[in-house]
Amino acid sequence: MRIKMRRTIAIVLALSTLSALPLFSASAQRTGRSQQRGSQAPAASAQTETLIRNATILTVSHGTLQNSDILIRGGKIAAVGQNLKPAQNARIIDATGKYVMPGIIDCHSHSMVDAINESTYAVTSMVRIRDVLNPTDVDLYRELAGGVTTLNVLHGSANAIGGQNTVVKIKYGRPVEEFIFPGAPPGIKFALGENPKRTNFPSPAGQPRRYPATRMGVEEVIRDAFTRARDYKRGWDEYRARAQRNEKNLIPPRRDLQLEPLVEILEGRRLVHAHSYRADEILMLIQIAEEFGFKIRTFQHALEAYKVASEIARHGAGASIFVDQWGYKIEAYDAIPYNVGILVRAGVNTSINSDSNERARRLNIEAAKAVKYGDLTEEEALKTITMNPAWQLGIDSRVGSIDVGKDADIAIWNGHPFSVYSRVEMTLIDGEVFFDRQQDLARRADLERERVTLEQAEPNRAPASGGSSPALPRGRRPAYGHDDDELDGGDDQ
Amino acid sequence: MLINRFRSIFAAVTLASLLLSFASRIPAQQSAVDVYAITGARVVTVSGPTIERGTVVIRNGLIQAVGANVSAPADARVIDGTGLTVYPGLIDAYTSLGIQQSTQQAARTGGGGGAAQPAQSPAQQAQQFSSLNPTQPVGLQPEIQAVDYVRPGGAEIEAARSAGITAALTSPREGIFMGQSALVNLAGASTTEMTLRAPVAMHVGFTPLRAGVYPASLLGVFSALRQMLLDAERLRTANLIYEKNPRGLKRPEQDRSLVALFPVLTREMPVVMFANTEREIRRAVDLAEEFNLRLIIAGGSESWKAADRLRERNVPVLLSLNFPRRATAQVAEADPEPLRILRARVEAPRTAARLAQAGVRFAFQSGAMTNMADLLTNAAKAVEQGLPRDEAVRAFTLRPAEIFGVADRLGTIEAGKIANLTVTRGDLFDRGTRVAHVFIDGRPVDLRPTAPGATAAAGGVNASGTWTLSINLGEGDVSSTLILEQQGGRLSGSIQGALGSAEIANASAGANGEIRFTAPLTIGGQTTEATFTGTISGNEMRGTVQVVGRSPGSFTGARPNAPAQQTPPSTSRPTEGSK
Repeated sequence: MRIKMRRTIAIVLALSTLSALPLFSASAQRTGRSQQRGSQAPAASAQTETLIRNATILTVSHGTLQNSDILIRGGKIAAVGQNLKPAQNARIIDATGKYVMPGIIDCHSHSMVDAINESTYAVTSMVRIRDVLNPTDVDLYRELAGGVTTLNVLHGSANAIGGQNTVVKIKYGRPVEEFIFPGAPPGIKFALGENPKRTNFPSPAGQPRRYPATRMGVEEVIRDAFTRARDYKRGWDEYRARAQRNEKNLIPPRRDLQLEPLVEILEGRRLVHAHSYRADEILMLIQIAEEFGFKIRTFQHALEAYKVASEIARHGAGASIFVDQWGYKIEAYDAIPYNVGILVRAGVNTSINSDSNERARRLNIEAAKAVKYGDLTEEEALKTITMNPAWQLGIDSRVGSIDVGKDADIAIWNGHPFSVYSRVEMTLIDGEVFFDRQQDLARRADLERERVTLEQAEPNRAPASGGSSPALPRGRRPAYGHDDDELDGGDDQ
Repeated sequence: MLINRFRSIFAAVTLASLLLSFASRIPAQQSAVDVYAITGARVVTVSGPTIERGTVVIRNGLIQAVGANVSAPADARVIDGTGLTVYPGLIDAYTSLGIQQSTQQAARTGGGGGAAQPAQSPAQQAQQFSSLNPTQPVGLQPEIQAVDYVRPGGAEIEAARSAGITAALTSPREGIFMGQSALVNLAGASTTEMTLRAPVAMHVGFTPLRAGVYPASLLGVFSALRQMLLDAERLRTANLIYEKNPRGLKRPEQDRSLVALFPVLTREMPVVMFANTEREIRRAVDLAEEFNLRLIIAGGSESWKAADRLRERNVPVLLSLNFPRRATAQVAEADPEPLRILRARVEAPRTAARLAQAGVRFAFQSGAMTNMADLLTNAAKAVEQGLPRDEAVRAFTLRPAEIFGVADRLGTIEAGKIANLTVTRGDLFDRGTRVAHVFIDGRPVDLRPTAPGATAAAGGVNASGTWTLSINLGEGDVSSTLILEQQGGRLSGSIQGALGSAEIANASAGANGEIRFTAPLTIGGQTTEATFTGTISGNEMRGTVQVVGRSPGSFTGARPNAPAQQTPPSTSRPTEGSK
């Protein structure tokens, strides 16, 4: 018995050593990469240059450049032009015959979250997407493979005033802290219409129906919340004034995490992204915003925005929409694919978003549709997935175009991104490669080998009996998934 | 082989029962002064070098002397320690031992003026259970005290002792603010006698309670925790201001849930947060940092991935030895298991060694495993994966004592410390080692065999087959498919359905159809460990589900196709792929 046991241990040990190998090689690769970036100190990575050579560059801000180079230094675009001279140790990416564009920005995503909706209250401004990010979500990698570099990760649309969003760069493989877009202004989700009034969603068993149940109610909830926020702000202003007058024996007011973000909206320090469909509710929200003296940054979805394009433009809001998705509920019937074109011509900053881990991988094709339906120029269409969402998120000075001084967030395609036959070769964020098609192909064999080794390791071996019933296949994602619908019983679209 | 095993079990039982019967024959007046000496044993003191051949003297519940040159006093009962190793009594750093009753339900029925349990008078109830504070959301009751719920005795405590555990941190496992834990000895006639220290720590879990009531999502859990900590901080400040000069001030409205958080805010009391994956751990560290809390991580299976932050913030880990392992066969028709799951199973036993190397403090805990025989087996796996033996011993003894603030009385074999000792035949981390004696508070305790299969079903109920489960966690029935495979007392299988898919672990089956297993369930975006306990009769099963951070739920199951009882296993499967 003892001999047998010893042998088992020996086998386990041997196998576990083997299985450690691929992991080791993975970490070796990682250190290898960072050494490539900078051999002496972490700060040295900022010094190393990358040159993307001889590409067709879709700058988005100043036209298309043929046979041109992009020099990247310290994670930023240092120069754009022809025959640029890199430093001796620069990394050279030959992009002959390739198309280079700024990394795509998805202004409406629910990737990488462990929860989407806190649907108990009509106002959940206290909840933060930042608290529930999951940097290991494989959808992120798929999005990188579609040339996407930045996401606006939003709360769901179950509430008139929903949770706080987070803008991230898809630094897949890094700790979550490194995903957070530095300096991006904070934002929040609002929602109007069927979702916050819970038309299409049964309340949990034994629970009463949540208020509000009508569009009137949604309006009231928002007005009430901002009235409370105004009072709350007044309370704190008074306290601060008295404290400043050196009054003694003061007990500070209670900090209210629900109202604090609303005060930030009133003070113009938090961007509002409002889920909306119908023209009348878009006008309603503009009225409330103007009554309380703040601005709506984007109307999300906004399928009827074309009916009130000039009003949206006058208010100064943007629109972040689908091109040709409609009819999935009553309030989504009166839509046209010319929405983008009409909005852009009316001077509304317009972006095209995904609201789906699947669509997020091909936003380039969504933008191409706007050329067909809306008669947009190629550059106008490209802007709907780069510059325009960058403005909508308040990060347009950092990303969204290929200009000197901007972050080196870049997608390199093997053909024009508006062709369905094109695919991404490489995606860079802050000058670092986060997706490389060739590397991906090469790594597949390694992963297969790792799987074989892992499957033989003791904890992964099936019990001696061999088991009797086949394991059921895992649920597969439908082609048109809307994340909220699937994950949370919530909703968004 | 089997005979050998039975023989050794028999020997252990005989030895233990002899010892106990000897002890119980001592008249009561003498038992006040109990003296024992274990002579000629290997003594792993932890505080100093290991004594290869030494004596430990126990008097009146304390260690009186230890050393190579110590001799047994005349009044001592002598235990020949030849071939035995004496360790400081093992501590299980995170359990719910002795807590039978749901804290949430107890609070609801006990305090809210509701129906009291018939066996107890309302006064008794009030004494035992703090009532639910209605000013805070359900599940956010930091004032709950584990000591109010702990009851001595019971099969679980016996099983833990038989695995060599002498003391355990025990905490309620329901809610978000679950309450405050107690460190208890696993022997004693009353809770008071058992208690080593209480309260020890505040316990936090991140599982939303039920749909429709805030916080119903992981998002809300964080904001609810945050708001409550802010409110507690404000009340504390207001109280200080008011006490200094009440004139002209309205007296601050007191709230005992908030008051219970004061020691947490002042860092007098550590906060144990339940977190297993890397992201759960980083979230816990973020929250602790935000409020400057003294954090302890419980679970910690991926803690090595966040070792940088844990070391930087000096956060200890109560590391679960409840390692995941595969329990079902792979069938060609099914999707292959994701690489991430295969990796996680292989990585789990390596975590301890990695934490030791990274300089992160950790203590071992049983992780709600159902078969306590796995405890030392799994610790041995951690040692095989590179954890130095002395570190492994420490993780069971001195480390938990340090983390819980009792290192001055527990955790090493030194004169003057509490005489909790675990005595084994063979090294603690060799496979096949047996626990020979367990001393708690200076007294030997009865040991029961914990070997799996000892009570195996022989021709009894067979759990094998595909079951359709209906699980109710307070939000209506959720259906899942449970595939079980039973071999003797050993049970394996997997669960798939609306609550995620996973292999079951720590599974066991009894002769009369009792089954137990654990499985990670995904509820509201958070993966959490659930313990299923039930019985099978015919093709039906029913039982209860315990989920960390929730009120207990129930499940029922049906098996449309019962296993063919008498069919011999087919030796060759049809080779479909051969064409």
